[in-house]
Amino acid sequence: MKRWRTPATLLLASTVLLACSGQRPVAAPEQPGPAATGPAQGGRLVYALSADANGFNPITDQFAAQSYSMAGTIIEPLVSVDAGGAWKPYLAASLTPNKKYDEWTIKVRPGVSFSDGISLTGDIVKANLEAQKKSPLTAAAMTPIKSFELADPMTVKVVLHHPWVAFPYLLAVQTGMIVPPASLNDPKAASLKPVGTGPFVFKEYVPDNRMVVTRNPRYWRAGLPYLDEVEFRILPDSQTRAQTLEAGGVDAVGTSRDEDLTKFGAMKDRYTVHRASGMAVAEYMFLLNTAVAPLDDVRVRRALAHAMDRETVIKTLRGGLTQPADGPWSKDSPWYAPGGYPGYDLARATALVKEVEAEKGPIRFELISTPDPNTMQGVELAQDMWRKAGIEVSIKQADQADLINRAITGNFSATVWTQFSSQDPDGEYVWMHQAYAKPVGAVSLNMTRLKDEKLSAALDAGRMSPDQATRKQAYATVQQRLRDQVPYVFIDHLDTGAIVARTKVRGIGEHVLPDGEKGLPLTGSPIPYHPFGQLWVSER
Amino acid sequence: MIVVHRLARLLVVLVVVTFLSFVLLNLLPGDPVTQILGLSATEEARAQLRRELGLDQPLLVRYLDWLGGLATGDFGTSYITRMPVGAELAERLPVTLELLIAAQLIALGLAVPVGVAAARRAGRALDQALTALSFALLSTPVFVLGVVLILLFAVTWQVVPATGWTPITLDLGWNLTSVILPAVTLGCGQFAVYARLLRTDLIATLQEDYITLARARGLSPRRILWRHALRPSAITLITAIGLNLGALIGGTVIIETLFGLPGIGRLIVDSIFSRDYLTVQGGVVLISVGYVVVNFAVDLVYAAVDPRIRRA
Repeated sequence: MKRWRTPATLLLASTVLLACSGQRPVAAPEQPGPAATGPAQGGRLVYALSADANGFNPITDQFAAQSYSMAGTIIEPLVSVDAGGAWKPYLAASLTPNKKYDEWTIKVRPGVSFSDGISLTGDIVKANLEAQKKSPLTAAAMTPIKSFELADPMTVKVVLHHPWVAFPYLLAVQTGMIVPPASLNDPKAASLKPVGTGPFVFKEYVPDNRMVVTRNPRYWRAGLPYLDEVEFRILPDSQTRAQTLEAGGVDAVGTSRDEDLTKFGAMKDRYTVHRASGMAVAEYMFLLNTAVAPLDDVRVRRALAHAMDRETVIKTLRGGLTQPADGPWSKDSPWYAPGGYPGYDLARATALVKEVEAEKGPIRFELISTPDPNTMQGVELAQDMWRKAGIEVSIKQADQADLINRAITGNFSATVWTQFSSQDPDGEYVWMHQAYAKPVGAVSLNMTRLKDEKLSAALDAGRMSPDQATRKQAYATVQQRLRDQVPYVFIDHLDTGAIVARTKVRGIGEHVLPDGEKGLPLTGSPIPYHPFGQLWVSER
Repeated sequence: MIVVHRLARLLVVLVVVTFLSFVLLNLLPGDPVTQILGLSATEEARAQLRRELGLDQPLLVRYLDWLGGLATGDFGTSYITRMPVGAELAERLPVTLELLIAAQLIALGLAVPVGVAAARRAGRALDQALTALSFALLSTPVFVLGVVLILLFAVTWQVVPATGWTPITLDLGWNLTSVILPAVTLGCGQFAVYARLLRTDLIATLQEDYITLARARGLSPRRILWRHALRPSAITLITAIGLNLGALIGGTVIIETLFGLPGIGRLIVDSIFSRDYLTVQGGVVLISVGYVVVNFAVDLVYAAVDPRIRRA
């Protein structure tokens, strides 16, 4: 009998011991306290992200929002964006265009060095930009660039094929992030152990688990960073991510769930909620393939927009937290131009459907959606609204990889889609310009395949004209053409992307750029990101 | 001889399973090129990368190439991370193994005494309570159970961390605190199955003539139960342990995602979504080998537990 009892007792005892083992790994939630007077040096931050990066080399690895969070602590860009959405030099001391804006002179900021001790110079910047232009990942974005020239040891001249006033924004994303020569020579190592000029240096990375970065003792910005260490924890499940924050296992989390905004937003004494806004916010929409029937008929596309009750969708899917979208840019963006969107009008939608049906017969098409419950709920809502107007829609589920593949090759009629979070409207050029609309079957960056001359001319004007009023007019035309031609049925501006942090975490969305301007608080979608160099942890 | 026979069977299983998974993966729409290059890459860049990765080769050529590499111990290189698949799997394996072992220990550690107690008092309150608990646990999806356990043990009582993973090599105490909640979540369903199986078999065994004889000889009920009835009643339980490995591995996918554990299950699912064919293939090989080896071990345990099988 003892032979059985002993192991069983041990197992039970060990289970109980395990459950009660050791010190409590989590701290009790802190009580609200008065704000500290200023940033404190030191401390450690544990920050939960929804997904891992595909690698940290800006030249070979595709960067998503989480990549910018992690790699951005180590690698810095030549350009940044200020709170007003304007580009500002960062690792560059200045960027100056010629009169025609088809040449840009980049002066490299002096006194900057990589964490491996090598000083940042013009030839390193040139080598990085040349590597980006050769990379299959980023080459398309750099197509307008003809060549790079080293004007002097700290100056790089960029020669373009045509004027490009928004060129500096290209250097504010991964294409402008600068790595040392060792990383250029060994891209595989750079992918796993990033090196840069940033406020932190790489310490540890366990794929799908965590990345740890520590203070860069030779950081070029005096007094920064404030934190000694940042640990990024990869927690893919949104619910347990929020629960981990509540349990005190992490100090801040990224989220895009409206229930998190409501719940943590109500606990102001314990948590702060930072939401993205303006141009940084992506739009949720239905992407329509204008090259295939029945969506090649603009009346059908208009009927879809008229039949879509965006307010109901927002109430159902987002708890009423977002604003309806009528174009790629939100109302709080300087580029927004009002009017002309085919709003909810079921009678008008039904009339358009009847008109088309009289000529071409019943309207039926397939709508693709990712299988996650929230997206499916929205798709079924749309299906019901369109059915009321007389349009029969069947839903096909596809995973993300399949959906994207179908979108770029044109093997779809309509699909759910989220896009348009570039800081400058020129960032959307390739997605809308007719030069990038290819036939069904070929890879087309303009996935709606809409070939609209006026829209394309306006995009060209916005790209080439340095005059702000002209640009504003051009992008107003872009919005007007999108509302007229309806290649997208817009739903809402997805500003539910947010960072929720414990109140002791300070400085999220409050960073200052090297030349003193306030930086863009948050950017990216669906969960936004921000710099970490100026975050600090208060005692309470 | 039996080992050679099993090895031959393992090879056949491996070839069949890996070929089928290779074909099925390649039938999935989309390819890793879009995952690597993103939306904005040109047609030319995509075609060039496809050539570099060998994706322009016929399916059979690619499979045989991969199989040839596998024969020399080379699992290939991940399309997405560009790391050797073998190294990626080796990094993740300890996490999943520890989770599986801990879940099985918890499930068995609870199921044996509870199953025995329920069989001994069949039809009484304890047995009915066990039946109700078993059905409740079996009908609760692991992701719901996981969220509830996190809410109770991590958020409300704060006795264990909600998520995260500390390797056993780094800190044993923290490792145990990080594995306990996922292991309990995964083990609960197994506990219910094991306890029910053991209870049913034990009740049947207790009706056998030799048990009646043992009773007539004046042996104590406890001795009869633990010494004479438990071993022959454990055969079904042992079979279930081997067969359940597949279900457990399926469960680890959810558990690892829920609790943020960097294990094999999560790696395979992420790799399926990113069409990282070679990493999925590596995972399939590992699981197939594990499944065959565990069931081989189960066969050996049969013989140890039941002398009739040993003599047969």
